[in-house]
Amino acid sequence: MTAGGFAGSVLYVDLTHGETKKEPLDLALAEKFIGGLGLTVKLAYDTIKPGSDALSPDNPIVLGAGPLVGTNLPSTSRVYVVTKLPTSETIGWCGGGGVNFGYLLKNAGYDHVVIEGRANRPVYLKIIDDEVEICDAGSLWGHGVEQTCEALWDEFGRPTGVISIGQAGENLVPFSMAFIDRLSSLGRGGFGAVMGSKNLKAIMVKGSHGIKVADRKRYKSLSQEFLQTIRDYPYLKEWQDLGLVKSFPIIPKETYERMKKRRVACVSCPIGCKDVVEIPDGDFRGLVKCTSSVINLYTPVTYGFKDYRESIKCMATLDEYGLDMFEFFGIMGLAKALVDNGLISKDRLNTDIIIDSLESMETWAGKICYREGLGHILADGFKGIFMEFGEEAKKYAPPLVKGMHPYAGPGAAVSWDLFGTMELGQVLDPRGPHVGSGGSPTYFARRPLDVFPRHLTRMGVPREAIERVLPGLDSPGQDQELKVGRLLRYSHRWFSILGSLGICARAAINRFYNASLCAEFYEAVTGIKTDLPELSKRVDRVWTLLRMANVREGLDRKAEVLPEKWFEVPGFKNYLTEKPLSRRESEQMVKDYYEEWGWDRETGIPTAHVLQELGLTND
Amino acid sequence: MGNYDIQVYTERCTGCLRCQLACSDLYTKAFNPSTARIQVIMSGGECSILFTEECNECGVCVDHCFHSALQKARREADK
Repeated sequence: MTAGGFAGSVLYVDLTHGETKKEPLDLALAEKFIGGLGLTVKLAYDTIKPGSDALSPDNPIVLGAGPLVGTNLPSTSRVYVVTKLPTSETIGWCGGGGVNFGYLLKNAGYDHVVIEGRANRPVYLKIIDDEVEICDAGSLWGHGVEQTCEALWDEFGRPTGVISIGQAGENLVPFSMAFIDRLSSLGRGGFGAVMGSKNLKAIMVKGSHGIKVADRKRYKSLSQEFLQTIRDYPYLKEWQDLGLVKSFPIIPKETYERMKKRRVACVSCPIGCKDVVEIPDGDFRGLVKCTSSVINLYTPVTYGFKDYRESIKCMATLDEYGLDMFEFFGIMGLAKALVDNGLISKDRLNTDIIIDSLESMETWAGKICYREGLGHILADGFKGIFMEFGEEAKKYAPPLVKGMHPYAGPGAAVSWDLFGTMELGQVLDPRGPHVGSGGSPTYFARRPLDVFPRHLTRMGVPREAIERVLPGLDSPGQDQELKVGRLLRYSHRWFSILGSLGICARAAINRFYNASLCAEFYEAVTGIKTDLPELSKRVDRVWTLLRMANVREGLDRKAEVLPEKWFEVPGFKNYLTEKPLSRRESEQMVKDYYEEWGWDRETGIPTAHVLQELGLTND
Repeated sequence: MGNYDIQVYTERCTGCLRCQLACSDLYTKAFNPSTARIQVIMSGGECSILFTEECNECGVCVDHCFHSALQKARREADK
């Protein structure tokens, strides 16, 4: 007997011994940690051997889909992985829109998969309901991300959910990613390499069991009203037509319309933010590219590419290799600076490093993936470059956070300069910089402060905490403040609610949800009695346990200091005053964040009192 | 023959499977796209939409489509 929403089982896979076993989901544990991201964190915490190398057999891959995944609640397809990531060397969450993978995993009967060990040859994991097999992947090894998907789709038909890696993951590049159904990226920070280190080329899943909800009457009533709210949204059509181009208009609409072939959605999503585009003219006319969002295809443009068609071609190459675009361009920028300043001899280059050249960047992407020549050093990321070229190389590096190239800020792809929660979150999320999580009114810069309380209430921030986030809110004449650190604490809580239930965190859809409604949906689907305070407590348990997993690994305050280069001119600015952000201000934000969580404000370690309150003393 | 004539515009389909989720829930009391009487198959940029023999053209799939890839018209005899 299982609660509604849950598939009811956890699949354990031992790649070393070639064994698999299916075990019933521990419902008491599921209730305590909600499911999805939350239970994935808990299973990872219990499975990870502290101090293990990210690329060793001792580092498990724990994967999960939340209790709403598989229902028809809007945009409930998210898939999460928790593992130790090689770049940051922290226990990080990796999340992606589940496309078909999420619901198929649930329909196959599994809420979570725990993968341990290392296969002695390339393998892929086949899951077709109860038929679970570790299969030979010799014929797939060496293939790119999409090529691997296509091969598995050819063999098993559609729909089949596939998580696959490219050549970068196979060759343990620490900035390689996996992709879900070759659309959603999974795991900045090197999840691709973690799979590669296990000789695990792919995970494929098909399922034929349904997902039931506990209280059908209440579910129907709540979901009908909710769906109508979405239908009535005046900008719905615009979101559906433009996807993320609407919120991030770096592509001229007419250009987008010319190349748009199809808008694509994860299962259950009424909006859709993924794209299939086709280059309409030029040298690459007819090239079709499937992507998590068309705006990603413009990343090379932000690094200097002049022709958007070359930018798309470049991204097609990076995605197929499974390379993280931000880290790749950050590393190539550093390599060029080292050549220009004589730290790398030009004799070591067969191909010049030209950041805005398609030919050069594709060549270097290949050298990195296959670890050829200088590419072998670049393939080890910033860490590898510093080891090879010494301390002096650091002065030419972009700002780094937890060993990674931030995606937002001075010198980054997204050159936003106002310092809000997404920017601070790059430092305070255990995994380091990644594409924004959660939800926060600061995600859209210069949004007026008077709309903040409504957003914060929607995110489940208690009234007394709103006053701490926005001091002076109810005091006319007093200078208005915004405490970014305190707001980030609640942004992380909101993210944990969405992630644990399985709801997409992207702004286009999370705008319709609110925390109270999430509690109601969870209760209607699972039958587990839950109100907002209880849901909040459970997700606080989740995020605090993720923190503890990293404290156990040695994460300390030093890892959460903002990089010096963020304070150089032109650097970040205060979100409200737009004055240059000071080191002192940022230190206060970090302390505020810790304090708002009830963690030690100096060390960031959860206090005994908080652990007791959250029922984590035995963890 | 059901109440509605269901028209399909595959070029608008995003592959969200909301139609299959709704159909399976209505007829099996579980969300299980594999049992739905409508089947959407996405392949790269291409899409095909098929109906099984059990489909009675009730139109629940249309009601759950947010992209007007499915539309329904009441049959003449029922007007």
